[in-house]
Amino acid sequence: MTPQAQVVEVRAGRTRRRGRLVAAAMAAPAVLVVCAVYAYPALSTLAYSVSKIDLSPRFRIEGFVWLRNFINQLTDAHFWQATWITVYFGVMLCLLTVVLSFLIALLLNKTFFGRGLLRVTVLLPWAVPPVASGVLWVQMFHAEFGFLNGLIRAFGGEGGIIWLGGSTIALHSVLVTEVWRWIPFATLFILAGLQIVPKSVREAAAIDGAGPWRGFRHVTFPLMLPVVVPVVIFLFVWAMKVFDTIFVLTRGGPTRGTTTLNFLTYRQGFVQFDFGNAAATAYLLSALTVVAIAGLGWMLSRSRRLAGM
Amino acid sequence: MVGTSLARRLKRVLMYAAAVLVLIVTAFPLYGIILTSIQTEPDIRSRDVAFVPTYIETEHYQRIFDEASGIPVAESMVNSLVVALATAFLTVAIAVPAAYALHRMSVPGRRVILGGFAAIYVLPTLLFVLPLFIAVVQLGLYDTYIGLVLPYTAFTLPFMVWIMGSFVRAIPVEVEEMARIDGAGLRQLMFRIIIPLLRPGIFAGLLLGFILAWVEFLTPLLFTSDLSILTVTLGLFRSTMDIAIGQLAAATVITALPVILITAIFQRNISEVVTAGVER
Repeated sequence: MTPQAQVVEVRAGRTRRRGRLVAAAMAAPAVLVVCAVYAYPALSTLAYSVSKIDLSPRFRIEGFVWLRNFINQLTDAHFWQATWITVYFGVMLCLLTVVLSFLIALLLNKTFFGRGLLRVTVLLPWAVPPVASGVLWVQMFHAEFGFLNGLIRAFGGEGGIIWLGGSTIALHSVLVTEVWRWIPFATLFILAGLQIVPKSVREAAAIDGAGPWRGFRHVTFPLMLPVVVPVVIFLFVWAMKVFDTIFVLTRGGPTRGTTTLNFLTYRQGFVQFDFGNAAATAYLLSALTVVAIAGLGWMLSRSRRLAGM
Repeated sequence: MVGTSLARRLKRVLMYAAAVLVLIVTAFPLYGIILTSIQTEPDIRSRDVAFVPTYIETEHYQRIFDEASGIPVAESMVNSLVVALATAFLTVAIAVPAAYALHRMSVPGRRVILGGFAAIYVLPTLLFVLPLFIAVVQLGLYDTYIGLVLPYTAFTLPFMVWIMGSFVRAIPVEVEEMARIDGAGLRQLMFRIIIPLLRPGIFAGLLLGFILAWVEFLTPLLFTSDLSILTVTLGLFRSTMDIAIGQLAAATVITALPVILITAIFQRNISEVVTAGVER
């Protein structure tokens, strides 16, 4: 290497180093904020989860209790009740939302009069703040003068269903509210996917004599899996975090029927002010979410391979 | 021949029937709350539920903006507006340089950082909120604007960096190379080339940041209690304890309206963001 080339090389190295420094400086605020608000709290919560914590008169970690808080949860029938409710809620939310959204997306993928209007309308529930959607569904579900019972009476029925009364029916009412809220996102996502799946592929299948159902089952559906699985992942994550709707509609009741793990964490932390157990529950919920996402991620990579993407 | 045209006509009828059904199911709850907000209290509480308005009663809307009403709706809207605007600008200001650096410059550990930003989103918010609550109380930020803006910004940031990243990646590398050949420094490149090109993305980001802050409920619920710092969503919840359903409905409409308007007007931009996500 000539001396000149060496100089150039050193300079290039210096600019590169400098560029890297500038890049790091540009990313630093975001990284710092995220560390302060996520990494540090996540570690603190981990510490809480193995501690006995006193909140009155002021916050104090009283001592180390090993895995006591976790064992408390895992031996508590209420914890397991909340776990099953959470899993059931997550699976049902994904299933109902995806099926309904797929149907709506297939409809919106056709051309008809008023499609633009329908597209905007389908998007609207997404724009309603979760608390507001809670309030408006309270109005729908109201046992005496709610719209649903009014509708049933208008068609000659009894119309006396107490939608938020029993623990099972209340859970499904919350489910309806959440499905309604997430259909816009899922529909938009699936519709975008449908527009990517080349129409020619589906037409070719039709020419090959595949009926609409077989065409869907063997062509559209496998091709759409790489789009549907991410939607399921998003929906599942959201289902694990549902709070506002439950808070407004049922407060986790009746008789804990709508208390998901997330809501249980809230209750333990901010109603009972038992931060140790709340922290343990939060970590158990995180573990559940991560395991489910890992499974779905594995499905995604498989579906991508099958679809040849 | 007749058979196929009949089948086709039947298919069209079914399609329109499906479209009407979807329209009713998605729009009815929204229609219902508006209907409730313009009826008198005795009519709202009647078992004969009306589905079509026969009159328009604006009393509830006047009442909620009254000084005498228990919930200061006007004040809460100002609070939410301040907090949401601050959050939107702060988040975008932090996210844009970070997104550019992470996607177009060599930040050490960029894969880990981007992966971490996505992973955070999976975990329940309460996992982070428990210690934050302690920190907010200890730092004296309970019941303050800053105590709301900081958590909002932080909760929105990872998502915002991802969204901005998709806009940054849409900028052709050639444009940057050309600017560099012309001797543009990083500052010139950012302010003359990148930020103007990112304008639609920045706009979308501001809208998104505003909406997410406007609808946030858990943070104000836990980090505030004073009526003077009440946000709109929290005000809605506080008024659910009230007995005037008509006023509650009116407050709901008022709270949801800004977000609904933004979404309806910019639905094309929102669709674009989602579509970009699918293509990735």
